[in-house]
Amino acid sequence: MTKVADMQFGLGLRHQHYQEIADQPGQVDWFEALSENYMVAGGRPLVWLDRIRRDYPMVLHGVSLSIGASDPLDLDYLAQLKALAARVEPRVVSDHLCFTGHAGINLHDLLPLPYTEEALAHVATRVARVQDFLGRRILLENVSSYVRYAESQLSEWEFLAALSERADCDILLDVNNIYVSAFNHEFDPRAYIAAIPPARVKQIHLAGHSHMGTHIIDTHDHPVIDDVWTLYAEALRRFGPVPTMIERDDDIPPYADLVAELERARRIAAATLMTPEKAA
Amino acid sequence: MNALVTLQAEFSAWMRGSADTLRARVLDTEKADRDTLLRVYRDAYALRLIEALTTDYPGLLAMAGPAEFDMMARAYIAAHPSRHPSVRWFGRDLADFLAVTPPFAGTPDAADMARFEWALGEAFDAADTEPLTFEQLAGAPPEAWATLRLSFVPALRRLSLSYQAPQAWQRRDTVPPGELDVSAEDGAVDWLIWRPAADGDAQFRSMAPDEAAALDAALGGAPFPEICAVLSAYADSAEAAAERAAGLLRAWLDAGVVDDAAWG
Repeated sequence: MTKVADMQFGLGLRHQHYQEIADQPGQVDWFEALSENYMVAGGRPLVWLDRIRRDYPMVLHGVSLSIGASDPLDLDYLAQLKALAARVEPRVVSDHLCFTGHAGINLHDLLPLPYTEEALAHVATRVARVQDFLGRRILLENVSSYVRYAESQLSEWEFLAALSERADCDILLDVNNIYVSAFNHEFDPRAYIAAIPPARVKQIHLAGHSHMGTHIIDTHDHPVIDDVWTLYAEALRRFGPVPTMIERDDDIPPYADLVAELERARRIAAATLMTPEKAA
Repeated sequence: MNALVTLQAEFSAWMRGSADTLRARVLDTEKADRDTLLRVYRDAYALRLIEALTTDYPGLLAMAGPAEFDMMARAYIAAHPSRHPSVRWFGRDLADFLAVTPPFAGTPDAADMARFEWALGEAFDAADTEPLTFEQLAGAPPEAWATLRLSFVPALRRLSLSYQAPQAWQRRDTVPPGELDVSAEDGAVDWLIWRPAADGDAQFRSMAPDEAAALDAALGGAPFPEICAVLSAYADSAEAAAERAAGLLRAWLDAGVVDDAAWG
């Protein structure tokens, strides 16, 4: 069990920050590398990945596993992921609870599944096959979504909780995504958090988004908003000192700004999780 | 699993603009109707792929300007949906698409620019190797040269271009978008593209016709005497051809494009 004092805070590894990360060691506890960015034969991306990995723990986070697709699992992709994991030796390997393509066409988006018994059985079978292939448990992340299907029989949190037990996989809980989907689909984000089994949550994502008035889009191009920080504290109270990171994918700010934003996560975690005498 | 297959087929069709049967499965919310919500996905699909092309083809963007580039990108997206899990490879068919598809085929400088930029990208993240050095090759015994064959590093690319795409590419950030002109060559010019360092950018230079012919022979596995024979067609004497072959070999070794040499 991770102690509060040992809780680790990370950032998404972005090429804009490679040099500063190398020049300013120790400001971040670990980095999350986007798996597909490093599924190349050689060159600068892998040079930097190896260089930064020498100094920091890493996790791998993918966007193309398409665990919920009805297409067969892409074994070439899985073989590349396994090879990358052997190179990086990540603490965890994660992807998203979604599908990303159909009939051989990649749509390059995290598309929501219908939360049905049929989909649950299908995804659970595939998770088991992926975990066998990779020789490790994976984490699946809840995605932001903009549509809900009439045919869904379960809530997203019921689906995710049931999947983690049935497939014996872990959860990467994206607190911003819960907030976004809660607004878009008019549910209580606290009910979502309360339904997730704490033992399964192995990583937390935080990010910013774009509010369109009638709906929120998960753009990862803004700082984390106050309401999401509040929800993060709620999540920490339930899940304990889970490794937490901030994702930024667009309008990438200076490295120092993200390090400062991550400090806020550290402060909130300290204030939320430490008893008064421990904090003193 | 039939319901899941159908839903995913309908979602793919919606994203790609070919059908809207997905609408019937999706719920309105109190705040937004389903069409507004579904459009988030369709818009993001196009924008994400256009962004990938923008990253890979800055020279083409400088030639076309944002509006025409957008139109071209949407035509390519419709004709060549992504079939690779990584968006890194989405743009690989763009040069061929531009070369044969109206109206883009009417401006063949665009296809040349695309061919050049894609080759730069391929060289950028090709596999790393330790290139052969002049000193290492100098250690080969004299009898080796009769059968000596070269192999080249994975980052080497060789192009023939009818337009001055590389020269224009170097000016891409110095002109307003849409105003990058690409001059025609008198005939096809051969180019060598490679990556000198594992963590570096790709470099490029033009080749004289005799170098291009010699490189083609070497890439085809011809032994060193055969490369000299190819060069003799461009030289005044066998001696001059051998001298040119030695000079080119030295230049390739110094550039770091020779991976290895074998003989016997």
